[in-house]
Amino acid sequence: MFKQIKYIFLFSFMLFGFSIYAQKSGGTLVYLVQPEPPSMASYISTSGPIGLVAPKIYEGLFDYDNDGQIVHVLAAGHTVSNDGKTVTFNLRKGVKWHDGKPFTSDDVAFTVMNVLKKFHPRGPNSFREVTRIDTPDSHTAIFKLRKPAPYMLRALSAYESPIVPKHHLEGTDIKSAKLGNKPVGTGPFKFVEWKKGQYVRLEKNKNYWRKGLPYIDRVVGRFVPDASTRTAAMENGEVLYAAYNAVPNIDAVRLKKREDISVTTDGYSMINPVALIEFNAKEGPFANPAIRRAISLAIDRQFMIDNIFFGYGKPATSALSTNFKPTGLYASMPNYPARGDIAAAKAELDSAGIKPDVNGVRVRAILDLIPYGEDYRRAGEYLKQVLGDIGIKLELRYEDVPTWLKRIYHNYDFVMNLNYFYQLPDPVLGVHRHYGTDQIRKGTHFVNSSRYSNPELDQLLASGAIEANAQKRTQIYKKVQEILARDMPVVNLFEMQFLTVYNTKLKGANNSALGPYSSFSEAYLD
Amino acid sequence: MNRSAKILRYVIRRLIQAIPIILAIIVLNFFLLNMAEGDAVDVLAGEAGSATPEYMAELRAKFGLDQPLPVQLLVYLKNIVSLDLGYSFRHDMPVSILIVDRFWPTLLLMVSTIILAIGFGILLGLLAATNLNTWKDAVISVFALITYATPLFWVGLMMIVVFSINLRWFPTSGMENIAAFYEGFDRFVDITHHLVLPTITLSLFYLALYTRLMRASMLEQYGQDYVVTARAKGLPERRITFGHVLRNALLPVVTMAGVQVGALIGGSVIVESVFAWPGLGMLAFESLFARDLNLLLGIFLISSVLVVVVNLIVDIIYCFLDPRIEIS
Repeated sequence: MFKQIKYIFLFSFMLFGFSIYAQKSGGTLVYLVQPEPPSMASYISTSGPIGLVAPKIYEGLFDYDNDGQIVHVLAAGHTVSNDGKTVTFNLRKGVKWHDGKPFTSDDVAFTVMNVLKKFHPRGPNSFREVTRIDTPDSHTAIFKLRKPAPYMLRALSAYESPIVPKHHLEGTDIKSAKLGNKPVGTGPFKFVEWKKGQYVRLEKNKNYWRKGLPYIDRVVGRFVPDASTRTAAMENGEVLYAAYNAVPNIDAVRLKKREDISVTTDGYSMINPVALIEFNAKEGPFANPAIRRAISLAIDRQFMIDNIFFGYGKPATSALSTNFKPTGLYASMPNYPARGDIAAAKAELDSAGIKPDVNGVRVRAILDLIPYGEDYRRAGEYLKQVLGDIGIKLELRYEDVPTWLKRIYHNYDFVMNLNYFYQLPDPVLGVHRHYGTDQIRKGTHFVNSSRYSNPELDQLLASGAIEANAQKRTQIYKKVQEILARDMPVVNLFEMQFLTVYNTKLKGANNSALGPYSSFSEAYLD
Repeated sequence: MNRSAKILRYVIRRLIQAIPIILAIIVLNFFLLNMAEGDAVDVLAGEAGSATPEYMAELRAKFGLDQPLPVQLLVYLKNIVSLDLGYSFRHDMPVSILIVDRFWPTLLLMVSTIILAIGFGILLGLLAATNLNTWKDAVISVFALITYATPLFWVGLMMIVVFSINLRWFPTSGMENIAAFYEGFDRFVDITHHLVLPTITLSLFYLALYTRLMRASMLEQYGQDYVVTARAKGLPERRITFGHVLRNALLPVVTMAGVQVGALIGGSVIVESVFAWPGLGMLAFESLFARDLNLLLGIFLISSVLVVVVNLIVDIIYCFLDPRIEIS
């Protein structure tokens, strides 16, 4: 099976090889990076703006195409043993780091065991079953696993698991190594300069292992703090590419009418963002699952998408996103109506014995809002209104990022929180952290802040993680979704569609499932 | 004692007096900033997506955030006394480098704004006062009122819409053309080109202020007895205006300018943000949300030093403008 896939890829690579001569070389690609990244250390932070820059410099073992299929990058091929406990990567030969040193299997072993598994926010989870990496020669890395880990093969992109140079990190304090501000990778672009507050500049790697690539001579990521100015710069042609809503939806729908500007929602399926409400399931007014179900029933998801997010989004229909359809894990569930059902919500509350007082108020609560911009404030206003209709009287609270993080994930001083989560390419990577009892980790961000704990669910999650058989896995996750549609510690609102706005001069920039977090190696200016 | 020795002594004394003030500012800022929930590690971990509590504890220990506040303060003060502004863990760079990097763009924007605002403010105020109750006065007063009342960010955005998008005269944002690699004189021209819109935007507000102040101040001086005397002894109106009234009317404007230099750093946050100008205001703004306290304290320190120095310069300018004012 894997051999077949390998040949298909070889073939498509050859096809690609013939077509590359049609593209134009040269030019400078200026794109928006918003906000300015804290560092370039993608091996210890998955921070969004780092992802916009670092995967141009570092590469992963794999990339994934827009259908989610594996594309071999630093790994020229791979095989998984029958028991699923040995994964062998045949690494590409002749690859060099930007400083001229050869890339070897030692780098892979060091990256996974000493960097990602220890310091990366999601690495300890992605590689949790890896006990050892054998390197019989300089271009073979054999991962020995405790249990099968099918999800691991979905987490090997340049963004999620960048391979870093051992000779720059070994023997240093990895958290503050010089590499963090001056990255050295194997990717199509070399780091040149980072002018704080202005831009980061990368230049073509002339010794890139994919001959003839990249086409573009120079890539500059610009930091422009004001959203309207970002739009103006796009309009003016000063920047050619703006991802992750750097140009806000409200402007994007206007700009896309122009001939020289296009908008795409491709390139976010591996990130898989879902807007949701987290509840304090342990104490306070929302500890009762009935009221959480009622809230899910009352909300008109389509209204939110159409009116607040300018039509970009898809109503959620389960705890898992429909992006898990191709892997068979997604199942449609009740209690997630697209249009909202006030009567059903009221009936749910009545039958749970949550009665209105003389003013029609059943519950008073504060809704915390994710402090990532105006859209979430407007979403909060809508929720306040619609939940008022079923007798849940809300007050809105909007704080700055550190205060909010501390409140939700450290102090647990909240009852209801509007947020969004990345479900990532596999539930084990992005969804388990939200529901498992072992994910109630005080002080850790973006995990189970609801403090929902259900042994039955824990059991299912544990077996789902190691199940290699696709059909059995489907069954397990169907049960998971049933439990979550009933208990709803988290109410999923809608699958978000982030926007990439780009100048039509720029071609070939959207070839990877990682989209903005991929390499620009095939991008060219027409 | 001659005059310059006197001034020198005065400057030294004022500088010595400034030391306890600046120390007090540091201590106050330190506690004020530490009252905010969350710290730099929270923000870093939040941005990173997730981090284990052990990892966060390790980072806190490394940043020195695990120490009690008074200890942190003492460490900071010790650094300051040895002229070390500390280290920004977020940027993984010494604070001094970060600040110096951003100081020149700020200074550039500030100086050009002050020159433009004070220069034109004095001119317009003078014109309005000498043409009192004519159409010139009316036009200038209405102009001043409108620019004074218009929010800066809106002016900035309108400037971009009109002059960048529609007319294409100026770039929308940034400090230089990053794709062009200009050197020497070309670079100077390029930076000036980028500087025009932010300077005009930021000046408009202050321009309005100085115009109104200058006009009022001129009118007040015209009512003084010495003007009546000058007129009585037959001096031409021009001499009265430029030789006597203008000089006296300048004092309040200079005072105001001195006070506002400090505010300019803060007030430029909006303009820096709209035009993506890489100045100190934006750096301060970002470090506040990142809880990068070392960096923020460093910026505050530099700003307070700047205010002290500018006020000193203003005091010295006083005694040149009006010889009756003596420094002692």
